[in-house]
Amino acid sequence: MYRYLDRSRKKTDHLLRLVLLASLCGIPGAATAQTPGTDQLSGKLVVTGASTLAPLISEISKRFERLYPNVRVDVQTGGSSRGVADARQGLADIGMVSRAMKDEEKDLHAFLVARDGVGIIVHKDNPVQALTDEQVVAIYTGRVTNWKEVGGKNAPITVVNKAEGRSTLEVFLHYFKLKNADVKAQVVIGDNEQGVKTVAGSRYAIGYVSIGTAEYDESQGVPIKLLPTGGVTASTETVRNGTFPISRPLHIVTQTPPAGLTKAFIDYTRSKAVHDIITQQYFVPLVD
Amino acid sequence: MIKTVSRLQNPREWLAFIFVWGTAGFVTATFCWLLGDILWHGLSHISWTFLTAPPENAGRRGGIGPILVSTALILGVCLAVSLPIGIGTAVLLAEFTSNQNLFGRMTRRSLDVLAGVPSIVFGLFGNVFFCKTLGLGFSILSGGLTLACMVLPILIRSTEEGFRAVPASYRLSAAALGLSHTTTLVHLLLPAAIPGLLVGLVLGVGRAIAETAALIFTSGYVDRMPESLLDSGRALSIHIFDLSMNVSGGDANAYASALVLVVLLLLINGTASWLATYGLHRKIVTV
Repeated sequence: MYRYLDRSRKKTDHLLRLVLLASLCGIPGAATAQTPGTDQLSGKLVVTGASTLAPLISEISKRFERLYPNVRVDVQTGGSSRGVADARQGLADIGMVSRAMKDEEKDLHAFLVARDGVGIIVHKDNPVQALTDEQVVAIYTGRVTNWKEVGGKNAPITVVNKAEGRSTLEVFLHYFKLKNADVKAQVVIGDNEQGVKTVAGSRYAIGYVSIGTAEYDESQGVPIKLLPTGGVTASTETVRNGTFPISRPLHIVTQTPPAGLTKAFIDYTRSKAVHDIITQQYFVPLVD
Repeated sequence: MIKTVSRLQNPREWLAFIFVWGTAGFVTATFCWLLGDILWHGLSHISWTFLTAPPENAGRRGGIGPILVSTALILGVCLAVSLPIGIGTAVLLAEFTSNQNLFGRMTRRSLDVLAGVPSIVFGLFGNVFFCKTLGLGFSILSGGLTLACMVLPILIRSTEEGFRAVPASYRLSAAALGLSHTTTLVHLLLPAAIPGLLVGLVLGVGRAIAETAALIFTSGYVDRMPESLLDSGRALSIHIFDLSMNVSGGDANAYASALVLVVLLLLINGTASWLATYGLHRKIVTV
């Protein structure tokens, strides 16, 4: 889906550039933030990007709007790649990117908002208590296809992988030094919650999702369990203290150095005033 | 009675009997299961507050007030645009062009192709054309217009069928009475074609109100109460999708929202079929 979007984007790029010039003022989002008045900010911000970050930034912007009643922050979703593309093209004031910034994205100004850990999950009834990194790689590359080979029951393994363009996929592949083409998956899914549901509904499945999501669902009685990675328990606590190896930063990015309303919003997003919202959305706030 | 018994003694008849009733039962059971599941999980969360309050904590708590308003506005824009265009095109196709006419054939063919285009393609088109080229941005207007493009083929084709179902004798009698083309159309053909239009409307509205892919890139994700048609507004289907697939712990409210969506659909379908039977159709029958 996202790939299609990207391709169609490229095709329309030339057209877009022409049109953008003409209609820049017409696009509400592109109408850049106004400079703050004495104490009262006003204007409209458009934030687009990672679906992982969208509910969090959405909640933060609601609180921000209550603080400054003349401000409107519109949060749109669509994936990290879109956050980067929209921020670059000026279609959004701020982009949301739920992974580390790539080298070719150095032109953007990135701000860390919170952290998120990616944990391996299996069904609760699965007797396997831990998997080594090599075992995980073997399972995901199709070299191990039965649970009994890694100390479980005699049952085929259902491998659940994330769809292309998802940051969780990139974080996972990066840690295990895999290429997506090497992964032999039976099920390909999109969002975190979908991953949890797939594993909860299939006794012999293995998948990986955001730790915050998995931890919450586990506490709600969803039949899944988080496996430790590299001997470290997968929990928001180990992500916060930096010991959990597979974790990812959650960024918001801008094309130009932020000023005015954009700066005020970014500062607020990174302030202690929103730590409760970050925890509420099962992410891990930054250590200050 | 005796005949039935003797027929059922034949094993082939038995098989056919079981197959026909089994499939019918299966279809009905699927629907009942689906509805039952939504009712079971969703009914306890439905309250007046849920229908009117804004969502809180990414939709896990709170209600769907602003989302219902956005959905209604998107649907309103969609119908306000698609109905006149749809009826106009259908009149042209059914009343002013013959079946063999090249223009008519090409229009029909392109409509049939459009009707089969996946909604994500309409979404991307809407995003590029309405949001960017026309500069409407993420807005209820962009979403409604995108849906209108999506609904038009269905609406036009079934309205056209409605016009074609009107007996030729109506037109001949009207011509014999010396009625003008316009009078015949407005007072005779249009009321008689209403059932076809309503079928198209029900199918179209059903497709539009359940749409996610076409709306996520056009009307957007913002769950604030919309202040104008140029504001971004989250549709009910996107809310359900986000709650069930992106927000952990959003299941309860996702079910409740799904229940509201199903009830809305049933209400719209019910109203349309009531109108078809008792309301608008009667006008022509009593004349």
